[in-house]
Formats: sequence, C-alpha cells, structure tokens
Amino acid sequence: MNAKRLIMSAILLGSVVAFSAGCAKKTADAVPQTTTIPDKEPVQAAPASTPSDDELRAAQRAEAQQAVGNMVFFAFDSFDLTPESRDVLNAKADALKKYNMFNIVIEGHCDERGTSEYNLALGERRAKAAQQFLNQLGIPDSRMTIVSYGKERPLEQGHGEAAWSKNRRDEFKIQN
Amino acid sequence: MRKTWILTCCLLLLLATNVHAADITSFDIFGPAQTKVNILVLPAKGGGVGNSFVGVVQNDIGFLPFLHLVYPNEVLGGDTSKGLKAENIDFKPLLLGHIDLVMTTGVNGGNIEARVYETYSQKLLVGKAYSGVDAGGVVRVGDRFSAQLMRVLTGKSGFFDSTLAFSKRSRGGKEIYTASALGRDLHQITRDGGFNVSPSWSKNGAHIAYTNISDKGHRLGIWDRAGRFSRLRKFPGNIAISPTYAPDGRIAVALSLHGHAEIYMLDGAMNPGKALAPSWGISVSPSFDLAGDKMVFCSGRMGGPQIFLLHTGSGQVERVTYEGSYNTHPSLSPDGRFVVFARMTGAGQRIFIRDLGVNQERQITFGPGNDEDPSFDPDGYFVSFCSTRLGGSKIFVTTRYGDPAKQIPTGPGDAMAPAWGVAPALN
Repeated sequence: MNAKRLIMSAILLGSVVAFSAGCAKKTADAVPQTTTIPDKEPVQAAPASTPSDDELRAAQRAEAQQAVGNMVFFAFDSFDLTPESRDVLNAKADALKKYNMFNIVIEGHCDERGTSEYNLALGERRAKAAQQFLNQLGIPDSRMTIVSYGKERPLEQGHGEAAWSKNRRDEFKIQN
Repeated sequence: MRKTWILTCCLLLLLATNVHAADITSFDIFGPAQTKVNILVLPAKGGGVGNSFVGVVQNDIGFLPFLHLVYPNEVLGGDTSKGLKAENIDFKPLLLGHIDLVMTTGVNGGNIEARVYETYSQKLLVGKAYSGVDAGGVVRVGDRFSAQLMRVLTGKSGFFDSTLAFSKRSRGGKEIYTASALGRDLHQITRDGGFNVSPSWSKNGAHIAYTNISDKGHRLGIWDRAGRFSRLRKFPGNIAISPTYAPDGRIAVALSLHGHAEIYMLDGAMNPGKALAPSWGISVSPSFDLAGDKMVFCSGRMGGPQIFLLHTGSGQVERVTYEGSYNTHPSLSPDGRFVVFARMTGAGQRIFIRDLGVNQERQITFGPGNDEDPSFDPDGYFVSFCSTRLGGSKIFVTTRYGDPAKQIPTGPGDAMAPAWGVAPALN
C-alpha cells in the first residue's frame, strides 16, 4: 500500500514538474511579442540634440568675447594708440564685423597715480581713442558704448610700473 | 650794580609775560605767524561723566594746532585748584609754567559745568553748564564745548560745525558716507552700487552731488538730506565728472559733449549751458570761492594737468601752477585767496598751497605714500585730504600752514575724496 502511494506520488510530482517547466518555457518565449514595461516607451537611440537659440547665442557670445577681448595699453598720462594697439584694434574690427549681432562696451582705465577725477577724464579719452579708430574701420558708433572707470578698477594691485603698465588700458566687453 | 641787574631782569620778565598774555583772549589763526597757546585741562571734580567729558575735550584740542595741551603733571604742584572758579585756582604756578589757559570741570549727577580762564588776567573766557548729560551724550556735549572754545578764541568754529562727506569702499564698489570732522556720527548715505566718487556739498548743506560709475556709465547723483534719498541722472556724452556746487546752488560738472571733458554749469532744469573756460584739453575739478567770482580747475590744455583760475565775470583764464608736471584736484579757499592742490612729486603725491595774492606756494603735506584730494574747510583754515601713509587710503586733516596731520576716524575700509559741508552731522 505504501509502495503504491509512493509510486503515485512520484508520478504526480513528475507531472507537476513537467507542466511547470512547460509553462515556464512558454512564458519566456512570449517576451519579445509582449510589452514587458507597459508604462514606458520602447527605448530607442537618441537623435543628435539641437541647441536652443539661447544656447547658440551664448556660445556665439563667448566666441565673440574671446575674439574682441584683447586689451590695448597706454603710456602714462597718454591716450595715444601705439602701433601694437592699432594692430589689436584692426583684428578687433574684423571680429566685430564677423559678430555683427553684438555691441561692445569700451572701458577706459588708468593706473593709480594721479587723482581720481583727472583719471576719469583720461580714461574716457582712452576709450574714445579706441572707439574712433574702430569707427574709421567701419564699426558704427551705435555699436560701441564708452565707460571710464579711471583708477577705480585696477587689473593689478601692485604699486610699480609692472602693475601700472597693465592698468593703463582699454577693455572690450560684449554688451548684449 | 647788582640791584640794577635784578630789577632789569624782573622788568623784562614782567614785559615778556604781559606781551604773551595780551595775545590770548582772542587771536588770529590766519595770521602770518601762527600763535601757539598752552592750555591746561584740569581733572573733573565730582566723578561721573566728568572724566569722559574732559577726555573728549582733550581729544578735540588735539585737532586744533593753535592749542598745545598741557597735563597737570607737567605743572609745578600739579592740580592745586580747590574748586571750579577763579578764586579757587592758584594761578601763580600756572604763570610760572607758561600756561596761558586753564580749564576746570565740575560734575554733579548729570550736570556738567566747564570753564576756561585766561591765566594772566584770570578772566573767564568760556563758561558753560549742561544738564541731563548721560554717558551716551557726553561726547556731543564735549564737542559743543570745544566748538565754543574755538569760537571764542578765533571767531571761527567751522571745523566743529560742519560735516565731511567722503567716498568709502563698500561691497566691491564705493558709496558716499558722512561724518563729523572728528569722525563722529558715521553714516552711509548712498546705496547705488558701482562707484560713488567726488562728493560735493551744496552751500546750504541740503544736498550732496557726486558721480556714480557703473556698467550703465557715469551718472550724476544728488542726495537729498531732508528726504535721505538720492537720484541718479544721465547726461549726453560718456561722463559726469567732479560735480561741484557753486555758491548760487547750481552745479558745475565736467561733461563730454564735444569729445572730451569740459566744465559746464547746469541750469535749474539740469541742462548744461556753454562750456566754462573751453579748450581742446581735459578740464575737470572745479572749485569756487564763496562769492562765486573765481573758479579754479584742473586742465590739460597745455599738456600735462595744471591748475588754472577762471574769473567768472570776465571769462579770463590764468594759469596758477608752473612747477611740477602733474598738478590736480584744486580746492579754493572761501575767500578766494588760497588754492590747495595735489602735485605728483618723486616721492608720491603731496598737497601744496598757493597764495594767489602774492603768488607763492609751499608744500603742506609730506607723506609717506600719496596725499590726494585736498579740500578747504568752510573757514579756509583746515585742509582735509586722503593719504595712503598708513597703508590703505584714509582721511586726514591738516591746516593751511602744514601742521602735523591728524587722522579722522572713518571705520574700516579705504576712504577718500573728503568734502566739507556747512551742515550738522546726521544723527
């Protein structure tokens, strides 16, 4: 009796295992035909992203700033453009024609010597010298704004000619 | 023979004492040879706020170069006074010690009595009583007493009655601050951002004009004392430099209407008229006498910056400075006789004074570092300026005689461009 029960149980268990195995195989085979993650779109290869107008403009702005950013330098109490300054401004004019969607601010700066008010007037003359030169090269005045900072914004904090020569300068910054 | 010699000595001593004493009750601080008067300030009697009061007055006297402060331990017998009045003071040791003036102070609760006597005549020069004085008010009371002392001695007290406006570093830029000439009541009055420079008081003390520099360019700022606000105004051209109130209340300012800085007088609607003293060179930093007949200014019309004088009636311009190749930032005394300015020397910027009456000039500051931005006080006696002699830029005061400069406390941070105004300090 016990032997007969054992044989029947074994047959039943084998059938269950065989059935279970068959079902499992059938489920696995069905995966490609069904959506396993129904709440998400199928993953596809992303197309190349197109930058927004703002991103494009920011990139152009950065390029333009790099192209026009070179400073020009002056002798003490002078607003005369040196030959080197004229070369820098020639290149700057080309860049401004290329990036004609941008306007610039020309900042005139002085070294720490001399008093604040005279240096503010001198800084304006320095910025104006660059503006007039660029204007002669075809850049309209309407694209250029002048701000004189005099000796208020030194590039170098030192108190000798090494610092002073760097502080007597025009800076050029993209405005818009 | 010996008796004659002793009598002669006594007579000479008496005459010397008389001559010395005769000059004390009032004297001219503007005279060619400046008087120096010894003043003994006795300790306060009664305790309380008296010692603080005496300390304030002693500090104030330190700003007055015509007074020499003497302490009791420098006098024979020290403080021998038995009260506050002349009858309680033994003047003999004071006369022997060449003390010209003696000050007594008495305190009873919150009441302060202070007196200054002239030692030779024992005459009361100043006598003041203040009531309800507490620790917070003792500084103000001390300053008022010092002002009265200066007024009695010299007829002037503009140093104590006026307020300095100056430019001070603030959050990467500069703003305008005010304080008394002694550095009391420090207030930041603008919050425009950028760099606020070159303050100038209106003659009635109601407004301060200044230049604001930012990425928006130069704008003329006008601060209103009554409303405690400021307005910024943009002008054609690129600049608005060194705005200065003329005695009639109009503002002269350097604008660039034709390619470079020239000085224009603004009308009541703030419109510029014709350029004052026009030239092809830079012109900035106008300064007027009290009558408005003269205007000194800095100009590069002959090359490097020099000081020039415009006679406003005739329009005639004359050159003031010939020595040095870089003279800037002139300030004209109220009577129009003296001009102080900064000159670049081999040792740095120094302040010089030129007497327009006799065409002579001399140096009145001696560094070290750079001394810049000189400005006359309303009496034409004191000259404030900024100096880097202690490192950063700080404000100092000297006199037109070049007395040793004293620093005016303006708190931490660089301060520059001091301008005097006849107005009480903000409180």
